[in-house]
Amino acid sequence: MKACFPASDAPLTTVLARLLLACLIAFTLLANGAAASPPQTLTRVAGMPLAKDFSLKNMDGKSYRLSDFRGKIVLVNFWATWCPPCREELPSLERLWQSLNHKQFAILAINLGQGPNAIFEFTGTLNPAPTFPVLLDRNSAVFKSWSGIAIPTTFVVNQEGRIVYRAVGGRRFDDPRLIRQIKALVKVGR
Amino acid sequence: MKQVALHADNGNGDRRISARIPFLLQCVIVLAAFANTAAYATGTHHKINPRTGIETWQARGHGVFLSLTQMAPDQAEAFFLARGFDRKSAEKYAAACVFGTIFRNESVPSPVSCNLADWRIVTPQGERKLKLKEDWERQWKARGVSESARIAFRWSQFPTKQRFALGDWNQGMTTYALPRGGRFNLKFKWTVKGVTHEGVLSGVRCAANNGSR
Repeated sequence: MKACFPASDAPLTTVLARLLLACLIAFTLLANGAAASPPQTLTRVAGMPLAKDFSLKNMDGKSYRLSDFRGKIVLVNFWATWCPPCREELPSLERLWQSLNHKQFAILAINLGQGPNAIFEFTGTLNPAPTFPVLLDRNSAVFKSWSGIAIPTTFVVNQEGRIVYRAVGGRRFDDPRLIRQIKALVKVGR
Repeated sequence: MKQVALHADNGNGDRRISARIPFLLQCVIVLAAFANTAAYATGTHHKINPRTGIETWQARGHGVFLSLTQMAPDQAEAFFLARGFDRKSAEKYAAACVFGTIFRNESVPSPVSCNLADWRIVTPQGERKLKLKEDWERQWKARGVSESARIAFRWSQFPTKQRFALGDWNQGMTTYALPRGGRFNLKFKWTVKGVTHEGVLSGVRCAANNGSR
């Protein structure tokens, strides 16, 4: 422990120089911290409640029921075309989708309150455009039943149909940390 | 606190004592001192979009971030007209000094709770509450605004009550019921583990039409 300490008879100028260096390092750390991008996180949902089942149609009128995806990890994303962070994160959801095994994993993007035309017009502008199902929650009843209060909100449902993670606000879903977190969940369910 | 830490071993007044503190510890102490300072000095950062003239006010501290960006009345009106509002209702909302609002839990490990009912608009005339999403929703229902338009309204507004886990954030509209170009300070509050914190966004200005220029 003693070896960790610098010489005790250092002159005042050396001490001041060290303190100045410490200040510079501290300032650098603080400046970097302030400018750093926000953490890409999924929050563990306490108690892992059962996700309320739903049946919603996609833009072509085909019905999708959440319980039909049992046995897979399902990422459920609530969004709207007029919501800036929703618009921003959708391409990263597609990149996530392309990076995962579709036998173990599904993505359902649920639009709140809009019609097929508005959604189609918007998704056509995205690069990459979503290839996962985009469903219509026209009266936002499903979102309310999932206790959603802001969009975008994303839930991750495990193989047993329980909500394990939630993310409120936009994310970069192709962030390696998020991909690792989701892939780890696939392994747990095996 | 900072002084106590730096002089804890300074029993004999020897100014060389500081040299006994490991360099890494010195960094930590200095970092902690500046972190505390930053936490209590949630100064307002103001910026102007050079292309649109739209102004933004931001504050950062205690691990949270708040940003208010002007929404020009014509911009707000167009948004709600496109969502199915009648013109009178869209105009009414657009005239209420609308801001695009972002709140983010950047680095607080525990959930951060926000209740907009606790936030205050400060003007020379005094302090008052914000007009909340629920207040507007009652009006829209009474005015017969369509359900689809009210759904769009609901999700476009900043929620009155919300909890932000680490990394969570939200972007939604808030209104301040001031005339075009009206200035105010915003006292905003948030709670972590039962402790309420307060910050101030200073000199915020409502947009004039077509941006503030």
